[in-house]
Amino acid sequence: MTEAADVLVIGGGLVGCATAWHLARGGASVLIAEAGDLNAGASGQNAGSLHFQIERRFLENGDALAEQAARTIALSRLAVEEWRGLEAALGGDLEIVMDGGLMVAETPADMALLEAKARREAEWGLPTRLIDGTEARAIAPYLSPRIAGASYMADEGHANPRTLTRAFAAAALRMGARLTVHTRVTAISRIAGGFVVHAVRAGEAIAVRCGALLIAAGAWTAAIGALANVHLPVFPAGLTMNVTERTPAFIPHLVQHVGRRLSMKQAHSGNVLIGGGWASRLAQKESGGFDLSRPPMVRPDALEANLKAAVDTVPRVAGLNLIRTWTGIVAITADQLPLVGEVPQVPGLYVAAGGSAFTLGPTFARLMSALILKRSDAEEPLEMFAPARFNHLNGFMG
Amino acid sequence: MAEAADYDLAIVGGGPAGQAAAEQAASAGLTVIMIDEQARMGGQILRQPPVPFRVTNWLPGGIYRRLKRQLAQTEARRDVTWRGRTSVAGLFPEEDGFTLLIAGTAGGGGRVRARRVLIAAGCYDLPVALPGWTLPGAMSAGGVQAFVKSQRVVPGDRFVFAGTHPLQLLVAAQVAAAGGTVAAVLFAQAQAAMIARLLRAPLIAVRNAPALLGAASAYLALRRAGVPIRFGRTVRRIEGETVVTGVAPAPVVDMICGPADGATIACDRVALCFAFVPQADLPRAAGAAMRAGAHGGWATQADAWMRSTVPGLYVAGETTGVAGAEIALLEGRLAGLAIAVDAGRVAAGAVSGDVRGIRRRLARLGRFAALLDDIASPAGLIDQLPDAETILCRCEDVRFGAVAAALDAAAAPRGVSGIKLITRAGMGLCQGRTCEHAVRRLSAARGGQVSAAGFTPRFPVRPVAIGDLIR
Amino acid sequence: MRIEHDVARGAAFEILVNGTPCRAYAGETVAAAMLAGGLAGARRDTAGRPRGPFCNMGTCCECMVTIGDGDNRRRMRGCLIDAAPGMMVTDG
Repeated sequence: MTEAADVLVIGGGLVGCATAWHLARGGASVLIAEAGDLNAGASGQNAGSLHFQIERRFLENGDALAEQAARTIALSRLAVEEWRGLEAALGGDLEIVMDGGLMVAETPADMALLEAKARREAEWGLPTRLIDGTEARAIAPYLSPRIAGASYMADEGHANPRTLTRAFAAAALRMGARLTVHTRVTAISRIAGGFVVHAVRAGEAIAVRCGALLIAAGAWTAAIGALANVHLPVFPAGLTMNVTERTPAFIPHLVQHVGRRLSMKQAHSGNVLIGGGWASRLAQKESGGFDLSRPPMVRPDALEANLKAAVDTVPRVAGLNLIRTWTGIVAITADQLPLVGEVPQVPGLYVAAGGSAFTLGPTFARLMSALILKRSDAEEPLEMFAPARFNHLNGFMG
Repeated sequence: MAEAADYDLAIVGGGPAGQAAAEQAASAGLTVIMIDEQARMGGQILRQPPVPFRVTNWLPGGIYRRLKRQLAQTEARRDVTWRGRTSVAGLFPEEDGFTLLIAGTAGGGGRVRARRVLIAAGCYDLPVALPGWTLPGAMSAGGVQAFVKSQRVVPGDRFVFAGTHPLQLLVAAQVAAAGGTVAAVLFAQAQAAMIARLLRAPLIAVRNAPALLGAASAYLALRRAGVPIRFGRTVRRIEGETVVTGVAPAPVVDMICGPADGATIACDRVALCFAFVPQADLPRAAGAAMRAGAHGGWATQADAWMRSTVPGLYVAGETTGVAGAEIALLEGRLAGLAIAVDAGRVAAGAVSGDVRGIRRRLARLGRFAALLDDIASPAGLIDQLPDAETILCRCEDVRFGAVAAALDAAAAPRGVSGIKLITRAGMGLCQGRTCEHAVRRLSAARGGQVSAAGFTPRFPVRPVAIGDLIR
Repeated sequence: MRIEHDVARGAAFEILVNGTPCRAYAGETVAAAMLAGGLAGARRDTAGRPRGPFCNMGTCCECMVTIGDGDNRRRMRGCLIDAAPGMMVTDG
């Protein structure tokens, strides 16, 4: 069976479904092909942080990376507006909360990091504010006396990752996009004016003829890229998230830590979510290599360190029951920046994967759709994420 | 959280399987720790009264005799470290053994390092959903029995028992003997069907007469006391505002019915007794191969030496499939011998006689367990009980209608973990132990290929305070 | 209802359930003491309706109660907590 579409989106996660929605609104015929269930990867497994301040992972590795990260601020500012308008645009309660976020500091070294971060943010026009411990506790009385200061940003918050992707998918379908789940792509051939993509759905072989192809397959992006004979340098990483029992609302903010891996928030349902980038161990295939079909294993020491950071920051969580620790697989790139744009060696092939794709995902999706539809104004904010920066890997490919 | 302690063997579960294994392993010179949430050794079958109580004539009856002897032996051992009132929150396979994260049920945490681990965690009552089952006063029959056995409390005044498992006769008789009122015992299956199934294997029935006689004498005692015992009937609805006040019994579809329907039976407690589900969260989360439990949950696969597919991890008793305490005890003994052999403390040849004898008895008892399971099976008798408004996931208050809608929606997830993500069913305190079986059956009824999976197992298998997980 | 035959309990004491005294004996669980005192409810569901002990073996978590006062409050399974003199128990 052969189907046709202007654009085939591979991956039924947040970015894939959101891009499909924008493309369909723009008049393109779109098909989303998802290998498993919708929203089953990192899009549904992340903890739903809306974080716009420069991330601590960019601050702990020296000036060059931090400077690069500062340049993502332009995109963060777009993302703030994106999220503010999302519930109206999609027409539903997405449990979006933007009541402010604090990146806290405990030590003098932490404070120095916050100050350096604040300078870069001021330079690039991100509205963050440095406050001392007293003011931090006035804003967030649940914070520990250990907290020496914080960087506050009024727009930060969180949303519900369990519902967002499905809301985008439903909106895309309303605009005429098509969706096929449990459809595994097996081959990609280039033809004049586009691609023929072969896939298997319920044991049946199908082919899709399309003008443009978007790979939004998260940790599976490199494997799909290989089908198109290009290296898309995206690597899987196992992460860990923790959730407490429901408790009456007491944390209205997103809480992050500049010196330790920590992010905390209280979801709509009252559960406190605790994460921040702690590793879990990827499963291995018997034949070698990572097995992305199985959940990564919790690492007890990482778990303990994560919870310790949470208790040191918000002491009250020590008395809450942990009810679940889950692991998920995210995609990271060699330079920690997302990989978003057209692949130079294969015109018509686009990719969107790798890092912070919950907070920035809806914005990537809008810009990516404009890029695919050849509308202007999309290039510039995405420029620093363009796959062209890894051209050296694809000198023999394409 | 206290510092780690090291043992050759950590046994999770202080029931007959754990006791028998501890005995074998300790006798072979291994250092053994036994961890259980109850204060005293015994498991659910011999759930002991609290230490400060002095109970005479505790659990009389032949069915308990052999088990009590094993309990006395293991409890008397000084070389088995007992950690009661302690939950095992997680089990983590490592290079040379395992780390267990433990937490006191009243607080306080710790780590145990063990070169080998045996999970003999028993089973729990299949939680069967029907309208009103979330009212306080609706309980599992096993829960009611444990209050009587251990705490010496009859947890209510007037009980209705409903289910398919003959165990409810024993529990009802124990409640009546302890001074409670039993308003009715309802079996969802027809009496004729039960007897017909029993007669299909008369030889097995006769060989295991003592176990059957226990149920028969409970039946007679209840009848003598004037307790109505009905077949082909179950509870349609549990009524009450904030606590159970009565049940509306109903004939089961397609079954032979008793007297005319319509009346409400006044009661303040309902005890549900349909089937039992293996406690196997720990081996499942550690990556051991599982098979679907007969009536829900997961049974851990074991080889002929009770080894799971995870190196160093052994399983025994109901954790490998619900088959009763006698089998659990024998499997525990077998696991203990295997552990001693694998640890190089005993030569395999030295135990081969023992092992042959154990396997012979296991085979014989296994045939009776299968017969009992056939007689007691709730299959086909429970899925029609809930309506769309009935709560399916008790922890998160998710109703059957919401889960059905998620399963019927466009692009519905194929796996039940996807249904969990959408509906929150299984996302609460109990980690899906109460509702997973019902979600899987709902999904299977729609032709989903779901029974192969289940909710992804997650740490911790029991809720544990965050402060108890850090040092 | 406590069974009185064939059992000798230790000294009785009181725990406080929602501020109201409830009799208990050494070794009794909070769940048992509450049920013996006619209190069938333990935790509250998301709509505030009471739930009571269901499995009585630590598996279902329906008997969660809050133990303690002030900063030391913790939610625990009532069927696995031994009552202690003066223990403060709150439903929900």
